Amino acid sequence: MPDKTAEKVTTATGEPIPAAAVATDAGPAPAKARSLWSDAWHDLRRQPLFIISSVLILLLLVIAIWPGLFTSASPRQADLAKHYLQKPQWGHFFSPEWLGYDGQGRSIYARVIYGARASITVGVGVTLCVTVLGTFIGMIAGYFGGWIDSILSRVTDVFLGIPFLLGALVVLNTFEKRSVWVVILALAFLGWTQIARVARGAVITIKQADYVMAAKALGASTTRILFRHILPNALAPIIVVATIALGGYIAAEATLSFLGIGLTEPTISWGGDVSAGREQLRNAPFTLIVPSVMVSVTVLSFLMFGDAVRNALDPKLR
Amino acid sequence: MRGATHAKWAACAVTVALAATACGGGGSGGSGDGSGIVRSSWGDPQNPVEPANTNEVQGGKVLDMLFRGLKKYDPKTGEAKDLIAEKIETTDSQNFTVTLKDGWTFSNGEKVTAKSFVDAWNYGAHVDNKQNNAPFFSDIKGYEDVHPESGSAKAKTMSGLVVKDDKTFTVALKEKFSTWPETLGYQAYAPLPKVFFDDHAGWLSKPIGNGPYTVESYAKGSEMKLRAWDGYKGEDKAQNGGVDLKVYTDNNTAYTDLMAGNLDLVDDVPAQQLKNVKNDLGDRYINQPALIIQTLVFPMYDKNWSKAGMEKVRRGLSMAINRDEITKEIFQETRTPAVDWTSPALGEKGGYKDMCGDACTYDPEQAKKLVAEGGGLPGGKVQITSNVDTGSHRVWMDAVCNSINNALGKGTCTVNPVGTFADFKNQLGAYKFTGPFRSGWQADYPLIQNFLEPLYYKNGSSNYGKFDNKAFNDLVDKANAETDRAKATTDFQNAQKILAEQMPAIPLWYQNGSAGYSENVSDVTLNQFSVPVYDQIKVN
Repeated sequence: MPDKTAEKVTTATGEPIPAAAVATDAGPAPAKARSLWSDAWHDLRRQPLFIISSVLILLLLVIAIWPGLFTSASPRQADLAKHYLQKPQWGHFFSPEWLGYDGQGRSIYARVIYGARASITVGVGVTLCVTVLGTFIGMIAGYFGGWIDSILSRVTDVFLGIPFLLGALVVLNTFEKRSVWVVILALAFLGWTQIARVARGAVITIKQADYVMAAKALGASTTRILFRHILPNALAPIIVVATIALGGYIAAEATLSFLGIGLTEPTISWGGDVSAGREQLRNAPFTLIVPSVMVSVTVLSFLMFGDAVRNALDPKLR
Repeated sequence: MRGATHAKWAACAVTVALAATACGGGGSGGSGDGSGIVRSSWGDPQNPVEPANTNEVQGGKVLDMLFRGLKKYDPKTGEAKDLIAEKIETTDSQNFTVTLKDGWTFSNGEKVTAKSFVDAWNYGAHVDNKQNNAPFFSDIKGYEDVHPESGSAKAKTMSGLVVKDDKTFTVALKEKFSTWPETLGYQAYAPLPKVFFDDHAGWLSKPIGNGPYTVESYAKGSEMKLRAWDGYKGEDKAQNGGVDLKVYTDNNTAYTDLMAGNLDLVDDVPAQQLKNVKNDLGDRYINQPALIIQTLVFPMYDKNWSKAGMEKVRRGLSMAINRDEITKEIFQETRTPAVDWTSPALGEKGGYKDMCGDACTYDPEQAKKLVAEGGGLPGGKVQITSNVDTGSHRVWMDAVCNSINNALGKGTCTVNPVGTFADFKNQLGAYKFTGPFRSGWQADYPLIQNFLEPLYYKNGSSNYGKFDNKAFNDLVDKANAETDRAKATTDFQNAQKILAEQMPAIPLWYQNGSAGYSENVSDVTLNQFSVPVYDQIKVN
């Protein structure tokens, strides 16, 4: 699951997409025959922010997919008698005792490694869902206008009016067992509005463009116009919003799990471990600090990545 | 970019949640003249407090301050002493004559008479009133007429209760029950004023009793303010101006508030702080044995758990729990591994004895074997449920599950934490659990009978697993009919042999009373039930 987005982003930013020729019209540099995408890629490669965050994200993705590569210990193996709140052995890199043991006698290192999957799946999953859903709704509203636009825009407003965390608490509270998928759907259900608005705005601008008019005049079908001409050109702002939001969704999942309303057993989540560690703060601060640092680093990586992508794709904001 | 809003929101929430544990504010009144207010930790009761309906600890604390009954248990020894009763006489252990003392009144001025008791008991027993504690009246003659097992009541009152005059009433029991008078200190037997029957809703919103305190206000989910009643004539008159019971959904927060000076008394020190508590509080920390046992009850109303052969599985699960390790590491020895279904605080004379034997001893090999022999866990899995707002239940639930997983294989056991005690109690009463659930039993009176009959006897008032075993029921009946105390105790012990074999509830550990208090208060003690003796607390 997580590797898909990585692929998607690189495709979006890396290779010229089929509609590149058309995009030239909208591109910021008409003098050179370079598309918005190759221009952005050219830009990104020179940004330290992008390089650092990409490396971290790649590492996190590998951890999420193959946690077994990083530790031989099981995150659920508990030995109270031997390991209750055992202090970290900072010198023993990557060993089960490296970051200490929690209040149940479980290796904290193993737990943060295995906890990555849930966080990243939620982040990437929600982002994919909101992007697809938001783009679709925004595009329909923007392209057709009129009463369709009115209805869809009002629906968007209604959802935008629901406070994100409060809404998530209410929705998640109705589920007794909350797996990764439940959390993804709940967050996506509440989070698609931003993208829908951005997509609608972009589509409204693009549909006035000459090449869209030309396609219409030549008798192209609505589907063809939408997916061949409009969507590829509306993609840039959508990707910017989506990549920045990704980090936010990971933080939201950690927050909800911390509050005991996010992921439930047996899923291992950083937020849940932070919550358990908070109670041990005085006796064993590392039980709180280690998973907290993991959440921070992950969220920061995705935010930095999002910022870099925005800088490259949306030069006006620089 | 507006897309970043969510990230900020989330980060703030974490900060708020962390900071909430250290909220500032609040001073305390009090100048040592007995007018100071004690601020104590609490949890919302399941239902509005009502003597015959409240069968849980949090509501019980309030009843303890609002009501005084015929007898009162000595806070130190647990002995049942006459309070409102002048004397309770019997010649045959079956027919009792109760004589009341003069001078007791309710806080609205009404006199406490024989009728106050008889009406209250008839109300509590009647099937239409749906009182949780109705089974406590089932020993009285005529109970079947007001509370038949099915159908509607044939009578309004129990024939066994007769008011002789203002100061006297007689009680006829169905069978001999020698220790019956000793049960009368329990709150279900409290007297009720007329207004309770005339304006029930009004009474519930502001209960009127005959105890040392009156209710000033109650905001559900936040706080109950109790104030000392000046007109109280009993010996245990409040030594403070009142008690504010503050609701906490996490005992760690309560402890932090105690340390920050926002709270005077925490009667449930969180497991995570047990390492620090001596350092933090010194001799302001109380740790003493109490009449409390924690068990994991099986839903015997669920065929999957009660069908033949499952007793082996239930026993196997009991043997998969490493009680020694959990009580030692997590509870820092403030719990003692259980070896029967009662409490060591009863004493050996009271009936405490190792009746569980091997079935309560950690033996992963045997556990695995028994579970396999019994046909395995339903669906190969077991889920444990408890509330998590008190008692550090989340921590031990995880530990018990880990212990079971270590013994029976990974992924066998999961936990189902329920946010609040009130919610958990509601789920208990719905009889919908599909796996074992926690039952913490704090005795109503210091008798072995109270640890067994309400919990495992057919239709017992707190028999939430709906265990019903003829051999067990017969032994309890036999024990109750016994006039010789020692023989009755032996019968109760024998009844536990059936529990050891059938394992309708896994005994986990005996809980100590564990409380801490601030420098602001003194004379803090816990009674035998580990409830703070609020009326004796002095505010400095």
